[in-house]
Parts: sequence; structure tokens; C-alpha cells
Amino acid sequence: MKTMFKKGMLGALFATAAFAAAPALQAQETVKFGLFHDFTKVYTFVADEFSQGQRDYLTLINEEGGIKGQKFEAIVRDHGNEPQRGLELYNRAREEGAIYFMFLSTPVANAVVPRALQDKVVLGTPLHGRGDTMVGETFPYVFPMMASYWSQAARLLKYVEDTQGGLKGKKIAHVHIDTPFGREPLPILEKLAQQKSFELRSFAYPSPGNEQSAVWSDVRRYRPDFVLIWGAGNSQMVSVREAVRNGIDPAKILSVVWLTETDMKNIGESTAIGAKRVEVVQPGRDHPIIQRILDKVYKAGKGAGPEARVGNTYYNYGVADMVIATEGAKLALEKLGPPLTGEKLKAGMEMIRNLDTKGFMPPVTITPQDHQGGGQARVSQWDGKAWVPVSDWAAAYQDVVWEEARASAAKFSQGK
Amino acid sequence: MFYRLSGVHHTRYEDTRRLWPIPTDRRLVAVLFLLALSAPLWLSELYLQNYLLPWLIWSAATLSLTLLMGVAGQLHFGYAAVMAIGAYSAIHLVRLGVPFELAFIGAGLVAAVIGCLFGAAALRVKGLYLVMATLAMQYLVDWVIVNVPAISGGAHATLQAPEARVLFFSFADGFTRYYFAFFWAVFMTVFLLNTKRTSFGRALVAIRDKDYAASVIGVSPFKYKLLAFFTSSFFGGMSGAVLAFCFYRAVTPEQFGFNVSTQLVAMVLVGGLGSVIGAYLGAAFVLLTPMILSNGIAALSDAGWLSVSANLLAHLPLMIYGALIIGFLLAEPLGLAKIYDNMRNYFLVWPFKHSRR
Repeated sequence: MKTMFKKGMLGALFATAAFAAAPALQAQETVKFGLFHDFTKVYTFVADEFSQGQRDYLTLINEEGGIKGQKFEAIVRDHGNEPQRGLELYNRAREEGAIYFMFLSTPVANAVVPRALQDKVVLGTPLHGRGDTMVGETFPYVFPMMASYWSQAARLLKYVEDTQGGLKGKKIAHVHIDTPFGREPLPILEKLAQQKSFELRSFAYPSPGNEQSAVWSDVRRYRPDFVLIWGAGNSQMVSVREAVRNGIDPAKILSVVWLTETDMKNIGESTAIGAKRVEVVQPGRDHPIIQRILDKVYKAGKGAGPEARVGNTYYNYGVADMVIATEGAKLALEKLGPPLTGEKLKAGMEMIRNLDTKGFMPPVTITPQDHQGGGQARVSQWDGKAWVPVSDWAAAYQDVVWEEARASAAKFSQGK
Repeated sequence: MFYRLSGVHHTRYEDTRRLWPIPTDRRLVAVLFLLALSAPLWLSELYLQNYLLPWLIWSAATLSLTLLMGVAGQLHFGYAAVMAIGAYSAIHLVRLGVPFELAFIGAGLVAAVIGCLFGAAALRVKGLYLVMATLAMQYLVDWVIVNVPAISGGAHATLQAPEARVLFFSFADGFTRYYFAFFWAVFMTVFLLNTKRTSFGRALVAIRDKDYAASVIGVSPFKYKLLAFFTSSFFGGMSGAVLAFCFYRAVTPEQFGFNVSTQLVAMVLVGGLGSVIGAYLGAAFVLLTPMILSNGIAALSDAGWLSVSANLLAHLPLMIYGALIIGFLLAEPLGLAKIYDNMRNYFLVWPFKHSRR
């Protein structure tokens, strides 16, 4: 009898949950964005801040009266980095009328790509997903929007070339997490190594990268001129710490975008002064957009999370993602008129020309061919308190990046 | 009363030996079969493609794993790798121009051969040590996929499932995907139900209970342990191919990581070791509960009945999910299948609880 009672209770619970979860089909009053994250498993280091930035920016737009009277609504859910849950969220949100989707998880985004192409809704893949989606002809509904990992690697090498008087004869170590993400820049690096005749060696440490000491003693023996570190979350902190322990000058460390002020503080503010990273959005609060958010969203008590996070690197990435998406929505509404659909939003995104954010991010130009938005990025350096830019926004070696992307996109088309 | 026995007279040996000797069980199975068969008619696209379809596929995979873990007693913590081998083999074979039907079997064969190689460890080690050996398989397969671009599909390590047809039906069509997965699950169910009644199945059970004793009575542990790994990996690989073609339609190594292996083991354990209905219940629990909980809680929050921070909101379903697992296993350590069995036993004699079953 006891078991029976429990069963009944659970049955009731499930039934309620299922009913409550049934999608409420209502008239489309707001433009719905499905902004899904992995809050609980792998990408937790970025999800909270990124999502807060996205929601705050949409709140800001709504507080300011929306765009052409259209308000925006964010559907925020957790997919736990599991493709099957991401697909469920995608389909549910699509039934609710969402036209823009972002998952911030490579496995989920990759599973959604073929569906988004079929369903004609916009999938934003800033800083995740497959890099070849920048080829707009092959992936008309997928928008990486910011410099891909390939462009980031190219930008870092360009920085070395510019500051060191050329790459010829340099020894570059690529220390990466042994996952597809860590290996992703390798084709670009190898190609550039041939073109610019520098020496490249890659060092892989096993995922999740909490233990890397064996790899770093190899790196030390290799005596590289520069070290690229390609990981995310905790593994980046371990990389920086191990590099310093192995006597590598922090100024020689060049990191992928995933390295923040929080990471540096956890490592020890003064441990790795001089470490450099590539960035695609300006961090900090010293910018009109962030000031507007503080002023109109947080003063009104409508912030989506703790105010202390505002201005953090990942927070600003979330804001930037929404700045580009809402700009696309604005252009679509202006040129094509309401109601907004996935097809119109796609057309609007492709109309973005030299989006001027007053230095918040590089000027973004998205065309039907180029969904990367120009691929500009810059290098910044940790001074013990903050990340200080040491280069201008610029795109680097885009010919090599595009050649690789086109080749990869061609393979995608063949597979269909 | 509900599972009425009175008036059921078996006059032939075949009748007593059939799969479901009690008429109520037969009717239940028939109703479930018809419900699933007609699901596209009464279930919305969302629930069909995102709940029922993956549930059937994962149930089929759980069934093939339960053959190994539940029936033959060989622990396997790298089953996602077996499915990965099947998924990648099927996609590559179809890309090479092999018809899907052959590629499907080929996927099973490749998975079975590689699964057998690692299964050979079972000839020497048992229990936790076998877990280690199968874990090694998981990591080796992951490593090979990630490090060989020809397998993983280039720098992005994403491989699209190519256009394929099975018996003239294209996988681009949602119905084909559903019915193919459905019939695959039905096939696996019938296969496992019958396997347990064959000499092969009984030999596996003998190995599970005590391999030394089994060899004394003439059951060769060498042969049957390898056969168990071969059969299970064969069907696991095929289930992986079904997953790739019918559900994901694009494969990445992360879809078959270690966490997926643990989920599969959880499906087998929560459902009930060696039980067919347990495989379905376990897969439903592990796969669908997190989705339902997380949607339910998000809906509560949207309706304003639950005001907690976004972070807690995301973790709340996990907490409830964890509590549910503990709760179920405390209530019935033998799994969900045993809970169903208890209920069935209760109704078998209800309302005459005092009577002999």
C-alpha cells in the first residue's frame, strides 16, 4: 500500500508538471527569443553571466519602449549540455513562436543546425558551434556573429607578427584541451605555420583539464616563444598557473576568449601580470550601453541577477549577442515591417553594415555571404586589475580562415 | 481480479510457454502497441519527436545493455562508446554509398567486433575490474574519434547524417524516423523476451550467477561471455545508428561521452536489472524526467508561483531528480520494474490478499 501511495503522489506530480508545461499557444504580441544555456553541467562558468547580460539588454530595450513598438521576451531554460534536451527546448520554443535561438553549447547547437536550416529560424552561435557556419550561402540561418575560434587564433598570431617583427622562425606552442573545441584552431595554425614559416607544436591535455602538469613540463622543454592556451572554465586557470610554475613568462601566454577577470583573480591577481587574451567585446562598465543598463534596468530593480556581475567579460558578451540580434530585428522591422518572422529576422541580420557600438565591440558587418560579421578581434593584457587592450580591432588572415571554412562547409553540403 | 487467472486453462504446452500466458498482460501489451503505432495520429509533433521518439531509441539501447548487464551479469561502463561506433560506422558507410539497410547491419558488426575486443577483458576480470576495462574502452573510443578527423568529420567534429532511405522511405520524413525507431524498439523487445527463454539466455544467466559453476555444468564461460559482448554490442551499435539517423541527424563526440554511458547504466539500474519493462521505465525516468521537471518548474516560475533566482531555478529540477532517484531506490532497490511487478502481484489476487498466488 505504501508503494501505491507513493506511486500515486508521483503520478499526480508528473501530471501537474506535464499540464503546466504544455505550451500556451497565444497570439504573438512580443518577439520571442529562445536563449537557452547549460546552467548545470559543463558551461556553467559562462552561462550565468552570459544569460544575465542577454536578459538585461532585452529588458533595457523593452524599458526604452521596444523597437518600433515591438517588445522582446526571452525564454530562458537549462538544457544541461544534452542535445536531446536542447532539441526539446528548441521545438517547444518554436511552437511558442520564438524566432531567434541561442544555446551556448556546441553539441546542442550542432544538433540544432540542420533543423534551424529546415525550419527557417535564426540560430545565433556566437563563440560556440561549428566555425564554418560563417559561410552564409551554406548556412543561411546560422549566425556566429563574432570572430570564430579560427579568426581568434589568427588574430593572436597576427599580434605576434605585428609586435615581434614577423613570425619567421618563432616557436609557437598550442596547449589545448583534448576535445574538438581544443583542436579546432589546428588547421589554421598549421596552414599559417607553413605560410609564415614558424614552428608549431601542439600539446593536448585530457579533458576536463584539472591536471596538466605532465603537459607543461613538455612545454617548458620545448622553450616556446609564445604559448597559445585553448581551454575553457577551470582548465584555463590551471593552464595559466602551470605555465607560470614552469617558468614561462606570462607575457608569452596568449589565450582564447575564455579567460576573465574572475579567472585571473582566482589564480591570484599578480600571479600572471602580462598574460594576454583575444577579446571580441570590451569588458567593464565604462561604456554607454552598460551605463544605460545600470541606469534603466538596475535602478528600477529589474536586473536579471546580481548587480556586481554587470560589466564582467561574459556578461558583456551576452549583451553584445543581443545588441547584434536586436539590431537585426530593428532593420527587419524597418525594411520589411511587422510581424517579425524567422525569415525576416535573417534578412535583417544580413542587412547589418558597420554596426557602430562606440567601441563596445568591433564594427559588425553581416552579409548574406559573411555571417561572421567581419571576424574582428583585439588582444588585451592583464595588468593586475583589469584587461587593458594592447591592439586595435582588426581581422587577421581572413583569406586562410575563409578557405578553411569554405572547404568545411562544402563537406557539410555534400553530407546532406 | 484485474490480471484474472480463473477460467484460463492451458491445454497445450505451447500455451503455457507463450510470452504472456495471462490474457490481461496480452491485452495490455496490445493496447500499448496500438497506442504507440497510432501515436502520430494523437500525439503532437513536439511530444512525438522529442519525447516518444528518443524514449523508444534509448529503450532499445537499454534493452541491449540489459542483455549484457542484467542477463549475463557483465558490467559495462562504456556503452555510449559502443553506440558511437555504430553511429559513426553507419554514417560513414552510407556516405560511401552503401544502402542504409546494409550499413545498418554493418554498423552493428563493427560495434560488435570492437566491443568484443574489449569484452575479452571479461574473460580475465570481473566486477569493478571489468568496469575499469570498459571505462578504458569509453575513453579510447572517444580519443580515437576526436583525434582522427577522417572519423569525426573535420575540425568541427560534427558529421551530418546523410540522406538515406530505408525500404523506399526517406529519413527526411518525420514519420519514417518515428516508425523506424518504433519497430526497432519492438524488435529489441521481442528479441530480449525470447532470448531469456533460449538455451543461449539460460547459459548467460548461468554465467551471471557463477561462471565457475556454469563451466562445471558444461557452459563455456569463454564462449558465452564473448557471445554476450558480441550480441549486446551488435545491437548497441545498431541502436547508435538509429539514434544518429532518426533523432540527432548529426553526430558529435560529446553525444556519446562518458556521461551518456553513466546515463545508460542508470537506465538499466533504475529500471531494474535484466527486465524488459524495466528498460522502458528506466529510459523514461532518466531521459524524460529532467525535461518534464525542468519545464514544469519553469512554467511554475513563469506563472509567478515560484520566485527564486535563475540559478536556483535551473538547479531545482536536478535536486528533485536526485531526490526521486534516491526515493525510488530506497522504496524498491530492485528498480521501477519491481514496483510495477509489486503492483501487478497485488492486483493479481485483489481483493483476496490472503490467497495464495
